[in-house]
Amino acid sequence: MQNPFMSAAFKPDLAFTGAAERFFELLKSFSLPGAGAAGAAPDWSALAGSLAGQFEQWLKSSQSAGPWFTAASASGSGAGLGAAASSFGPLPLGAGAAPQQDAQRSWDLVARLAQLQAQLASYWSEIAHDAAQRFVTRMGAAAGGAPTLDGALKLYELWVNCAEESYAATVRKEEFCRLQAQLANASAALLVEQRRHAESLVRAFGLPSRNEVDALYAQLKELRTQLAELTEARRAKPPPPDRATAGRGAGKRPASAPARDRRSRRARKPRA
Amino acid sequence: MRPFTADASVLGGAAGAFVPELTLRVADTLARLRQARDVTVGCSAKRAVWSFGKTTLYEYLPLREAARDAPQRSAARPLLICFALVNRPYVLDLQPDRSLVRRLLAAGLSVYLIDWGDPDDADRCLDLEDYVERHLGGCVRHILVSRGTSSLDLLGVCQGGVLSLCYTALHRREVANLVTLTTPVDFHTPDNLLSKWVRELDTELLRQSGNVPGEALNRLFLALMPLRLTQQKYVRLLAGNSDQRALEDFVRMERWIFDSPPQAAVALAEFVRWFYQENRLIRGTLRIGGKRVDLAAIVQPVLNLYALGDHIVPPGASAAMERCLGSRDYTGCGIDTGHIGMYASRKGADEIPSRIISWLRERP
Repeated sequence: MQNPFMSAAFKPDLAFTGAAERFFELLKSFSLPGAGAAGAAPDWSALAGSLAGQFEQWLKSSQSAGPWFTAASASGSGAGLGAAASSFGPLPLGAGAAPQQDAQRSWDLVARLAQLQAQLASYWSEIAHDAAQRFVTRMGAAAGGAPTLDGALKLYELWVNCAEESYAATVRKEEFCRLQAQLANASAALLVEQRRHAESLVRAFGLPSRNEVDALYAQLKELRTQLAELTEARRAKPPPPDRATAGRGAGKRPASAPARDRRSRRARKPRA
Repeated sequence: MRPFTADASVLGGAAGAFVPELTLRVADTLARLRQARDVTVGCSAKRAVWSFGKTTLYEYLPLREAARDAPQRSAARPLLICFALVNRPYVLDLQPDRSLVRRLLAAGLSVYLIDWGDPDDADRCLDLEDYVERHLGGCVRHILVSRGTSSLDLLGVCQGGVLSLCYTALHRREVANLVTLTTPVDFHTPDNLLSKWVRELDTELLRQSGNVPGEALNRLFLALMPLRLTQQKYVRLLAGNSDQRALEDFVRMERWIFDSPPQAAVALAEFVRWFYQENRLIRGTLRIGGKRVDLAAIVQPVLNLYALGDHIVPPGASAAMERCLGSRDYTGCGIDTGHIGMYASRKGADEIPSRIISWLRERP
């Protein structure tokens, strides 16, 4: 499933079309036999069942693996190795490329993720059924009369209120919060594990490892910090008078000017 | 992209009567959204005056009319805006009629803004001390030296407000007045869902995982209210009462919401642990660069503006600032809007700049 919220280049038209399609799906539920039809005995259970089913499906597809995952939503609870960890960046290697004992650790983490996602799915079911019940309880007056688009939009607003209330009630529970954190931790652990495999491979090929590059960056950062401090110190105090030019006004320029000029030249072009 | 199709027959009977109207509205809105796709963001002229790593300090050029009407401008104390690391600062200058920056310039203020840029793998070890002391601190020192002044006014927004509080506590003499916008201080208020979700994150794993893409944080924020934030706002466009200009405003905001920079791994891990998990700022246990960040050390005037309907920084998380500061001149004000509304709604665009400008004018 294409999801505009998971793309670097956001496309509002795509997001709108998706939302409009789901709105139409909801309208189908609203117009189920008995639901909202004047004079007929409403079949609330059919309406609630349909709404709950749709909402649960949507939660699974859009939220199934928690907010820390990129691609897991597309494949549901059976998300693969790459999908589960890809929110932190694409991985060059899979568990299969690692030595046997390392691969086992990765597969254990994948299994752990699948188990946690299954637990999460039970919460989506709970939220969806509670939301549907809230909706059928409240829709009463809103359901009567001739159906119009504006009336349908009002019902939709009511549905969103009910759904968000049910969602908020569940996702604030301690056990749900713990589960979210466990999912994120398992995902991060899997990524770290895979990077470890990659490190051992690059070492075997004589390539610089991530740790070595990080150490170089740390040294570079330290040097840049020292340079910045020296530059600032130089700007803050006036330079000693130059013997050759003393008396000709050379020391009279504001102390900050040269450094400021240099920095201005280095500054990047404004983007916006 | 699949074209939207609605089959009236599936709705059955009278309920299907409005399907042609619905289809028309969808097609019309879609066409107008596509027209609006290329809207521009950021409207005021600015120039880069300093940079360090990926961070760039911008100075906004004075508006012509402000320069004419405000002869005292050159003497005004500079105002530095410190935005959050997790979003782009151009939301404060989104479009001419919704630009906090423009209003500040029009009032004759001399405005600077920090753009943190996009950290890449070379920046994964950047920590909060780097951001506070060297990036924010570097910006402050550059402004002070280049303007030949001993202090400036600091405006911190959201997470940038937290960094500004830290900086002000550590460098009291450099900040004359502090303004904070949607800035959390108490991260453990019961209504803080974000805080509950990250309370048991393993920050050491987060640190080892590398930089976190902006999309990952976006998903986290959207998951706080998923139906409202990813569905309802689009369906509401079908109500049919938005003109093309309103639709362009909408697309501008959407562009900003989904345009989030990646986060340096170490700084993010520290922020989650120190603030969200251990609530060090309000407990007085936060140390940056070996120095204790004591909010009671902030004795200068503070204006704290927060949103009463904020789902990311609950009002209580920000209002708690009052009881921690050492300042005797604290003004707290809750605005009746949401987190995003503080920057971009009509209400926010009118009320917030007015409050900031009049408050600063009273404290020259």
